[in-house]
Amino acid sequence: MTQAAAFAPLRRGGGRGVLLVVLTAVLVGLVLFMEELEPLFRAWFPDLDNPLYRRETFLRLTLDHIVLVLVSSAISVSVGVAAGLFVTRRAGREFEPMVSAISAIGQTFPPAAVLAIVVPLAGFGFVPTIVALTLYGLLPVVQNTIAGLGTVPPATLEAARGTGMSPRQILLRVELPLAMRVIIAGVRVSVIINIGTATIGSTVGAQSLGTPIIAGLVGDNIAYVIQGAAVVGLLAIVTDMAFERLERRFTFG
Amino acid sequence: MIELQGLTKVYGGKTVVDDVSLTVGQGEFCVLIGPSGCGKSTTLKMVNRLVPLTSGRIVLDGEDVTTLPAEQLRRRIGYAIQSIGLFPHWTVAENIAVVPKLLKWPKARIADRVEELLALFQLDAAEFRDKYPHQLSGGQAQRVGVARALAADPSVMLMDEPFGALDPITRDVLQAELARVHRETGKTIIFVTHDMDEALKLATRIAILNEGRLVQYDRPIELMFEPADDFVRDFLGKADLGLKLLTRRWVHQYVAPAPWADRKASMGELRDIVASHGHVWLVDGEGRPEGLFGARLWRADGDPLGELSRVHPDWMATPDMSMKEALSRMVWRRILALPVVDEQGRLSGEVTMAGVMGRQSEGQAA
Repeated sequence: MTQAAAFAPLRRGGGRGVLLVVLTAVLVGLVLFMEELEPLFRAWFPDLDNPLYRRETFLRLTLDHIVLVLVSSAISVSVGVAAGLFVTRRAGREFEPMVSAISAIGQTFPPAAVLAIVVPLAGFGFVPTIVALTLYGLLPVVQNTIAGLGTVPPATLEAARGTGMSPRQILLRVELPLAMRVIIAGVRVSVIINIGTATIGSTVGAQSLGTPIIAGLVGDNIAYVIQGAAVVGLLAIVTDMAFERLERRFTFG
Repeated sequence: MIELQGLTKVYGGKTVVDDVSLTVGQGEFCVLIGPSGCGKSTTLKMVNRLVPLTSGRIVLDGEDVTTLPAEQLRRRIGYAIQSIGLFPHWTVAENIAVVPKLLKWPKARIADRVEELLALFQLDAAEFRDKYPHQLSGGQAQRVGVARALAADPSVMLMDEPFGALDPITRDVLQAELARVHRETGKTIIFVTHDMDEALKLATRIAILNEGRLVQYDRPIELMFEPADDFVRDFLGKADLGLKLLTRRWVHQYVAPAPWADRKASMGELRDIVASHGHVWLVDGEGRPEGLFGARLWRADGDPLGELSRVHPDWMATPDMSMKEALSRMVWRRILALPVVDEQGRLSGEVTMAGVMGRQSEGQAA
């Protein structure tokens, strides 16, 4: 292969792919080797006795954070897509306003308020955080599922029925593939929101990348806040870019 | 063959299709036509039960299919619609293969069938097979739409204004193509349109609907000669009914022997022919019409031999030309007769303005 051919993918919009790889490398490096940056933080914040968060490794915090996001998003997506599908079927059409309202309420409720309600019921830690995140992430999934299925042209649906596809075949072969791009866009928003919001789980004892942030805020240690926030921010950006690539695979016409 | 027996559709107390019965024989091209809201589209969609029947029966090739599961029925009936409705995430080949796939045909047979259909619609398989719908023009997309409807070789095809959204030139081309495909495949077709010219061009039988009821079901010519009532007469268009009729008439039905003479004939011989026929065609050595004395409108009162008119290529009629076109040429060129030529361009007869009138009244009397 000539050199020009080897770089061809770069010139054809592959630039963002390279950026994604670079940012992922920075994220992994930051998570694994945060300690190596201690001299940097010591020089930046000379007044602080401990300019590096050491109560837990950043690898552990990041993995806990990812588990919180994965579990809550998995629930949001399965419940949200199922609800979106249900209200766009003939049998569930009358529930559409109700489902939309419930998911909208879930979004308008601040997650902190949800925690305040759920903690007395479910105790501290993982569970109330999952509940808050799930509710918070539901709306974009429900809305985009409904919107995505709504973008399927009526003529395509009529043709699908006219060819003798069963309702199940129409859903799986026509509606979902055509709605997939919009549904994935909803999942993307939901996951990105939850990556940021999962940090507040640390206020009720769920360990996450919010833990150094909260500790920093409480202990007046800006370095901790920066360390937690940098990893969360990078995680969100990398995830967002990965979703963007996924969405593009479902663009037709 | 398909029989619709007493099809009735009631929507919220309103009867939109009222006891429509008609039989479309094997290989017939039946056009359902009527004003907006007459129930023609609803009737069509009741055939493949996209619209459920309130009452009535559908008999397909002698088998009562009224209680057959709708999906099974639809796989036996082709369906093409105005908005085409190609699946945007599938290639042309995948779109055409939908019904054969649902019927679980073997892969090789599906591939062969796709090639065959693309060839039937004069789309190059290598070029079009792997294209996506958004890469097609409107005319190409509708060809694929009709090919998809034909894919599983259904005995009946339903078409709901399939050419309604196309520009006039593309529509003409596709109408001609559909007529050819109909001739070649011998499919039974039920076709909905609101365009009477389209109906006259394609139909072997026309069903006129009004307010949900079947008003008349006849061959196109019979429909024009014997409209069942004033509605049909109005719908056919009083103004140009005569011209519409001529779209279904052909030059070979009207051709009469032409008075002719060799170009070397004497003035005396010509005068004799003009005296008995009013005009005379002059032919060259090979028998091709070359000139005309008389039969020119603005010379009607003068001496027919006063001026020789050169026969223009636009004047010629061929036996398979529609009489509407022949008449149009006479009007446009202001002549009262057209030479009819054979494949070699030799004069084989003529059609005249008087002949058009004569045949017309003859038909009316019959």
